[in-house]
Amino acid sequence: MNYRRFVTSQSLVLMAGSMIFPFYVLLLRNVGDSYSQFGWAYGLFALTSALAYPVIGKAADRLGDRVLLIFYSMAMAVLLLFFPLATSVWQVYGLQVCMGVLGAVQKNTEKAALARHADQGQAGADIGRYHFWTSIAAAAAVIFTGYLVDFLTIATIFYLASLMYVMSGFIIWKEPKTG
Amino acid sequence: MKKGLFVCLYGVLFTASVYLYSHVYSRPAVEDAGRLLPAQVKTIERADGEQTLKKIVQEANRTGTQLTIAGMQHSQGGQTYYPGAVMIDMKPFNNVIDFDPEEKWITVQSGATWDDIQRYINPYGLSVKVMQSQNIFTVGGSLSVNVHGRDIRNEALITTVKSFRLLKPDGTIIRVSREENAEWFPYVIGGYGLFGIILDATLSLTEDELYQKRTRELDYRDYTRYFGQQVKENEAVKMHLARISVAPSSFLRSMYVTDYIKAQNQDMLTSYKELKEERIVALPKLFLGLSRYSEWGKETFWDIQKQYMLQEDGSLESRNNVMRSETDFMDYESGERTEVLQEYFIPTDEFASYIDDMRNLLEKKDKFNLLNITIRYVEKNDQAVLSYAKEDMFALVLLINQGRSKQEVEQSKAVIQEMIDVTLNHRGSYYLPYYSFPTKEQLRKAYPLAPAFFKKKQEMDPKKRFTNYFYEEYQQ
Repeated sequence: MNYRRFVTSQSLVLMAGSMIFPFYVLLLRNVGDSYSQFGWAYGLFALTSALAYPVIGKAADRLGDRVLLIFYSMAMAVLLLFFPLATSVWQVYGLQVCMGVLGAVQKNTEKAALARHADQGQAGADIGRYHFWTSIAAAAAVIFTGYLVDFLTIATIFYLASLMYVMSGFIIWKEPKTG
Repeated sequence: MKKGLFVCLYGVLFTASVYLYSHVYSRPAVEDAGRLLPAQVKTIERADGEQTLKKIVQEANRTGTQLTIAGMQHSQGGQTYYPGAVMIDMKPFNNVIDFDPEEKWITVQSGATWDDIQRYINPYGLSVKVMQSQNIFTVGGSLSVNVHGRDIRNEALITTVKSFRLLKPDGTIIRVSREENAEWFPYVIGGYGLFGIILDATLSLTEDELYQKRTRELDYRDYTRYFGQQVKENEAVKMHLARISVAPSSFLRSMYVTDYIKAQNQDMLTSYKELKEERIVALPKLFLGLSRYSEWGKETFWDIQKQYMLQEDGSLESRNNVMRSETDFMDYESGERTEVLQEYFIPTDEFASYIDDMRNLLEKKDKFNLLNITIRYVEKNDQAVLSYAKEDMFALVLLINQGRSKQEVEQSKAVIQEMIDVTLNHRGSYYLPYYSFPTKEQLRKAYPLAPAFFKKKQEMDPKKRFTNYFYEEYQQ
């Protein structure tokens, strides 16, 4: 897997993620109506992530990082299409569980790919640079989206983010498998 | 190949999602402070100018759309919205248009809140004559429900209105006062947004004054006499507020009163003039919270409230500050439960016997969670067609904690209808901005002119351009 493509793709993933996450609360606010429901929504996310990690870890070594990252991007893109349609808190819980699994896929594979790429001697610097670029993208996205929400509905943000996930997926998908 | 398949699949899903969202889901869901009537309205339109409002009404006439008017949405029976209708959000329409400190009047757009007015006129040493005890409401909303407040010398809000401009259902604008287009005046004020959009209103003002608080604890049987002799007869008393206990050990017996008496030394007003802001409300919020769940909580809340009020005896406060009391501590966030209000008006001479009857009724209703009752006074006034003060009345505001399920709403409804029967038996009436618990017969009894009101509505708005839950529920 081409490292440049990997960083670009993950920057897009982080951008899309930071677009929806802070504003995701707004959706919950429309659907749920108590703080305990916020707690549950995020708790379920974390819990499913936790349970998914060991399985995903093994899968990453078997299937390869590239396949999993493509799967993550495309699955997120599809999943986000359901968010604007959620009308009850149970549907949000369901989506959170799916997001929890996918979140674990992304985190684990991202780290595995980094570890495989990083030069033993200067792994710290490599990973630092990786986080620099992806975090810059995330910060820009979150600030920009703040303005966007004023003009668009929350639903539009989910659709935009979904398209960004598709792009991030295609960036890695494009290259020949031998990379 | 795989890529193409994915693109096709994703494209279909994307289109389906956007289609569903824009056709089915995007209708904004609305509910008011009662949180019992969530509804999907057609759209929410922001009133960002007079031209916008005119356009909204004209467009609605062209397309046959119905309109509803919303301010802070603290009414609780869907008076500000209706399923499928356009809801006009008046809050952005909030400028001061004209102000004459010499003649003591102000003209404001109807989305302005009392707080906006207070901040504007306080530097000139002026004050609103009649408004609610809290200042968070819009002028337009307050006019539409013809509010009253703590002031005992100025009756209901309608008496302080010099004139207003009305955007009629046909899209034209008229000025309405007691002389000009006078036939609209008693219907639009207290008209629950059914006769058109109040664009702006000119209200007469009064001087800001320094008040000294007088607080007393008394038995409910002495209240009418106390009020007559110590409050009504004493010209120096300008405002009045009382509370009656809902704690089990003193239920509907123990009371305390707060009178606001014009202070002898008005020169000191300058040092009390500064408008107070909402303070930290964690403590009252905690005690109100406890009283929601237990009898012990109710006892504690009552004792602490009473002690706090009694120690305020003799303290000084400006009129403007009395008229901006705290509301934040009442904010209540719960998924399954909500808090609803009722307000009952009772002729002053009926008070003690009325309270006895209410106690007899409520002591049998274990599940009915009554949290607070405040009492104010409103002088007889029949300027508005839907006038609640048919005589000199005490106004009792009841705060009730209840569940949001259908069954729990029915339970509350039964008790509330019984309470209204008791109220009507004592020549009383009830306030209309709340949930549609009362029956149609009860409405007719409390408001003998209600049929005339609905008839006039049909005459002035034959195409029913303006509507809301209240109208749809009670019109026939």
